[in-house]
Amino acid sequence: MTVSSATWIPMVLAGTLVTYVWRLLGVLLVSRIDPRGAALTWVRAVATALVAALVARMLFTPSGLLAHTAMPARLGAIAAGVLVWRITGRRIEPGVGAAVVAFLLLQQFFP
Amino acid sequence: MNGPESGREEGTTAVPYDWTWLAKGMLRAFTLPGLVMAFSFMGFGALLHSEGLSLLSGISQDIAIWALPGQVVLVDAVSRGLPLLLAALAVTLTAVRLLPMVVLVLARARVPGNPRWPEYLAAHFIAATVWVMSEMHFSAIPRPGRLPWLIGLGSTLVAGMTVATTAGYALTGLMPPPLAATLVFFTPAFFLLALVDGARLRQDRLAIVLGAVIGPAVHAVWPSVDLLVAGLAGGTLAFLAGRLPGRTRPGAPDPEGMP
Repeated sequence: MTVSSATWIPMVLAGTLVTYVWRLLGVLLVSRIDPRGAALTWVRAVATALVAALVARMLFTPSGLLAHTAMPARLGAIAAGVLVWRITGRRIEPGVGAAVVAFLLLQQFFP
Repeated sequence: MNGPESGREEGTTAVPYDWTWLAKGMLRAFTLPGLVMAFSFMGFGALLHSEGLSLLSGISQDIAIWALPGQVVLVDAVSRGLPLLLAALAVTLTAVRLLPMVVLVLARARVPGNPRWPEYLAAHFIAATVWVMSEMHFSAIPRPGRLPWLIGLGSTLVAGMTVATTAGYALTGLMPPPLAATLVFFTPAFFLLALVDGARLRQDRLAIVLGAVIGPAVHAVWPSVDLLVAGLAGGTLAFLAGRLPGRTRPGAPDPEGMP
């Protein structure tokens, strides 16, 4: 059940254009824009909320392989990751490592 | 805020770029940030496999898009059969954040007076990891070497991440389901911690919470626009709330938090 190339090629082309256009604007505006101004602060908030929504969906109503795992395993593993991130002085690598290991273990308890 | 090196020296004779720094940039890809990134792209490869997309579709994205949040949003859109326009809108909303990164990096790397094509090329490689690495290393690189260094680093990272994507994709097909699911789980775990870790302002924390609440709520009633609505509504509310006077405003650290 692989997605056909007729489906993904236009999507990837569109994704490429709508991604590079912002980098292009960055090059064109480099000497004329304050990267920390209000407009770009708003942009950051929108991107953050959008990615947070995607993460929430992968945790609460996932598709693919994650759909066959138990919700307590997914949420417990994320909680473990945040906890370890916090107690290691806000370092991402141990946090992600702990979340992944916890997820592997929790899958045994919540099959 | 770009300091004295931000460059208004148009008109003076330009020092040409020093391309011997290209190789040093390439070597710099093989350090800890590159390794951490490789795990993320292995997770991306696993996600492709899990959602029924081909390996080629993922490698094309590594090379042509080179921004993992947008790529994950795109994989999500393709696997759910969303219309092209909705997919492009969601991807572009995640990509706007590249503009300030490109400005911040290029302001310290470009040498005005030179041809601009290396800037357009280097801009393609600028995403979160390359931006952080340039903040770490630029002070030790003479200005004419910075753009070549960026291009060497970026191109090597892209090449390496296509290998990591391939490895993640292949492993997912070979491993027992709990292990394969764990590889896929890397993506939400990494993204969530990266968001939480990057949240320096009240606005950022609010955006995470609002996005995570609005997204699933909208998903229940109108699934195809859940990310767009969560991003635009949650992000705008968080932005407005962050501008209200409050205890966290005065002396709040710089949003990008880099020295």
